[in-house]
Amino acid sequence: MQHAGSAHAAAEPPGSPGEPILVAQDIHRSYGSRRALRSLSFSLRPGRVLGFLGPNGAGKTTAIRVLTTILEPTAGRFEVDGVGSEHPDRIRAKIGVLPEGLGFPQQGTGLEYLTYFGQLYGRRSADARRIGLELLDDVGLRNRANSLVGTYSHGMRQRLGIARALVNDPRVVFLDEPTLGLDPRGQKELLELIQGIARRRNAGVVLSSHLLSEIEGICDDVVIMNSGQVVAKGTVAEVIGRSAEDGAQSNGVRVRVPAPSVAAAAALLEAVPGVRGTATDSVGWLSVEMGDSEEPEGQPDRNRLLDALIRAEIPVLGFEVAGGRLQDVFLQLTAEAIE
Amino acid sequence: MSAGRDPGGRTSADVRSSAPVWWLVFRRELADLWIGGKALNLLILFSVLMSITAFLLATNSELSLTPPRMMIVTTLQAAISFGLFIGLVIAAESFSGERERATLEPLLLAPAGRRQIVAGKYLAALSPWPVALLLSFPYVTILAQGDIALVPALLWATILGTLVAVVYTGFGMLVSIWSDSSRTSLFVSLLAYILSLLPAQLPGGFLASPVGAVIEATNPLEAARQFLLKGFVEVRPVEELWGLLYAPIALTVLVLAVVFLYAAPRLRLEATAGLGRSIGRGVEVAR
Repeated sequence: MQHAGSAHAAAEPPGSPGEPILVAQDIHRSYGSRRALRSLSFSLRPGRVLGFLGPNGAGKTTAIRVLTTILEPTAGRFEVDGVGSEHPDRIRAKIGVLPEGLGFPQQGTGLEYLTYFGQLYGRRSADARRIGLELLDDVGLRNRANSLVGTYSHGMRQRLGIARALVNDPRVVFLDEPTLGLDPRGQKELLELIQGIARRRNAGVVLSSHLLSEIEGICDDVVIMNSGQVVAKGTVAEVIGRSAEDGAQSNGVRVRVPAPSVAAAAALLEAVPGVRGTATDSVGWLSVEMGDSEEPEGQPDRNRLLDALIRAEIPVLGFEVAGGRLQDVFLQLTAEAIE
Repeated sequence: MSAGRDPGGRTSADVRSSAPVWWLVFRRELADLWIGGKALNLLILFSVLMSITAFLLATNSELSLTPPRMMIVTTLQAAISFGLFIGLVIAAESFSGERERATLEPLLLAPAGRRQIVAGKYLAALSPWPVALLLSFPYVTILAQGDIALVPALLWATILGTLVAVVYTGFGMLVSIWSDSSRTSLFVSLLAYILSLLPAQLPGGFLASPVGAVIEATNPLEAARQFLLKGFVEVRPVEELWGLLYAPIALTVLVLAVVFLYAAPRLRLEATAGLGRSIGRGVEVAR
């Protein structure tokens, strides 16, 4: 299955309001005979967050490195805010990047680090320092501005990395696995920060991550990659919706009940008319496979399942439609591509 | 926060208004080297080696009456050999070390010319050399015992040492640009350093042979050593010594040209596939 339709046309004239600020057109990248990226095309509008998803080795980091001018495309081109990929120096002035696994100098404070990069982007010393302080404030590190970067925690370094990516007030921000290694609270805070960057600054954000549930929560658009090629793209709702049309969204539900009640719940649900079968997973979720429903969206059938559980006084800890999440689509699409 | 985007959507970063990039990188590298302690540690090692050399020479002088000029030349040769080692080590670790620490990518993402980045790091790597030279002056002055050759010998050592330091620092930087691992770049650089010291240990008869003459003419460190030896111990006229300057001057020009005209524009996040990987494979085989 290939969802190649773009949510945003790449052919809009430059200068019009809401025009795409990042347009990738048929980008290929090979390492010798190995094709790491094949025919990558998408566009991104200001103020939107685009999630770059894919399993390990899918080509996400290669794609980001090409789009950030670190690698040259083997074929194809891209534009950032109207500047073509044949002008990498001018593109670098318009983008901010948080690379995966970014290292930081042990010497120097957070403020000195940002001031240095501000100057590298052409700001005068005093201006770079002022911007550095404002950015530290934005990312919640103002009170650690004069602490050595070597004393920062991993989460603080990621925040500092994001602040560094913003020193030139970029039009497009690329964040490669920014939440990797953070605790749940750190992940949540960082994702909120990223969403804020897109909204407040009206910048486009390209976010590469494995955290599908979080991506689903903050991304407007999504590009799913596998083996170097795009397998789906569009808004999150569109991608999930198209997968449902193609059969990715099965007519089933997932129910979570207390562990001692799993067997009883399974027996009870299998007796409900329309249920084909049940299966349990290791974390206490009960998957219920249902036959084709004649009811719209299958809702009355699902209600009958819930009703049966309530009548039997089995506590329902969780209840969701199977295949209705980005994670389900992702797993289904990447598995299909592998097959 | 707004960082100065004008109504046309052009960011203030489009217009470079601060200091040149090479100067910013140079200052940053200087701070890392000197405040971080790496340069100071290497200079302490340099001072220890110079002290041992001077002590051995002074002791030897009392026993065998080594002439002051021989001591001047030997001490200056040691200062050049040890001094250029500092620049070589710092340069050899410059880019490969940044790759290992994952700090190179943000630098390459800045809208700055690669040559400027290389120039800033190169000058910083060269910065301990004048300090090392100055540190060697008291040793030479004491061992000279008032010999009139002291001042001209110091001047020539400064010129020759600077040329040789430029060559070796440039070589270290080249290896670093083409290497993903600082262990590899340090290994290759130190191997080259040791090989360039070898001619001094070869018998005089070999150096007088045609092969020895080629080694002498193409090895800048040996050429500098011979220049000081022949100029101040054997007191040969300067006209006879010009030939010994060819190698240091030619290699200085060559190394600078390769670093700034060839390697710097090709500086990448990952070392250049061909040469860098070949070097890496060679080192792995050697291990």
